[in-house]
Amino acid sequence: MEAAYALIGYGLAAIGPGIGIGLIAGNAVQAMARQPEAAGMVRTTMFLGIAFTEALALIGFVLFFLV
Amino acid sequence: MITAAETCDFVNEVVCKPTNVKELFEFANFGASQISRTEVLILLAGLIPVLLMYFGLRKKSTVPGKLQSVVESIFSFIKDEIAVGVIGRGGEKFTPYLISIFMFVLVGNLFEVTPLVNFPVTSRMALPLFLSLLTYVIFLVVGVQKQGIGYFTHLIWPPGVPVALKPLVGIIELVSVLLVRPFSLAVRLFANLVAGHVMLSLLLASAYFFIVQPGGGEYLIARAPIGAAWFILGLAIYGFELIVSILQAYIFTLLSAVYIQTSLHPEH
Repeated sequence: MEAAYALIGYGLAAIGPGIGIGLIAGNAVQAMARQPEAAGMVRTTMFLGIAFTEALALIGFVLFFLV
Repeated sequence: MITAAETCDFVNEVVCKPTNVKELFEFANFGASQISRTEVLILLAGLIPVLLMYFGLRKKSTVPGKLQSVVESIFSFIKDEIAVGVIGRGGEKFTPYLISIFMFVLVGNLFEVTPLVNFPVTSRMALPLFLSLLTYVIFLVVGVQKQGIGYFTHLIWPPGVPVALKPLVGIIELVSVLLVRPFSLAVRLFANLVAGHVMLSLLLASAYFFIVQPGGGEYLIARAPIGAAWFILGLAIYGFELIVSILQAYIFTLLSAVYIQTSLHPEH
């Protein structure tokens, strides 16, 4: 039963980062479309932002295993 | 994964977890020997980049061969995009470190999608934690070397913080820089690889269960298409995991470089 609670917790933890990664990727696409010559820089920054945001969801995922 | 599904008590358990979760944090030995599969793979992950670099850059011909051009493109990518591109001035001297961790993590990750191995060594917590602590020590040492002991006060109170907010900002920055940074760097790599590994084994084990097990040929006509669908989905995720392993190695190196950059050039 505890595992089920942990699963729900993981699901909740994935909501925020999901929205965040969507925002980051969407805005990065917009930036690349407006200024294609800056695409390389935007891509690096996008990966950075995604990596920072994703960590929250992943901590929830690890919690599922630890509980 | 398969044993967890076989021994699961579906009546009482809502979610079946594998019973060997502890293995994520420990190394299991081969039979009676003292060497585990993980250790052999770690050795390989250390050895393969060394051999690649040695044989790729041995001749240094003007017109590069296949191997040389691959190794040189990796080398110049890390040097130009990450070491100089992210760290900026003074970043060249971190190139050897960044290339070492990139190649090691890349080979360790790619074991996940290597047929017959199918086990990412970086999904054992010890390895990413060690690598991230290495980065942690490096960026602290670089910061202290560059700015003296004032580095820590700079770290905790960025310039321009009002006096009234100093206690609050101090606690937040202290936790986020000195505790969360190395932890999240390690957990990001670890959890991505564990998630990929679990997902692959779930999908492919489902295909196996639907087609082969249990009860022999009973309802095989109904079961086989579902198993085939799981198998096709598993193969698609296999390709996705190939991208994820390369991307995670890149992100680990990139974040290491960013952390070093923050202590080397604090004004940015």
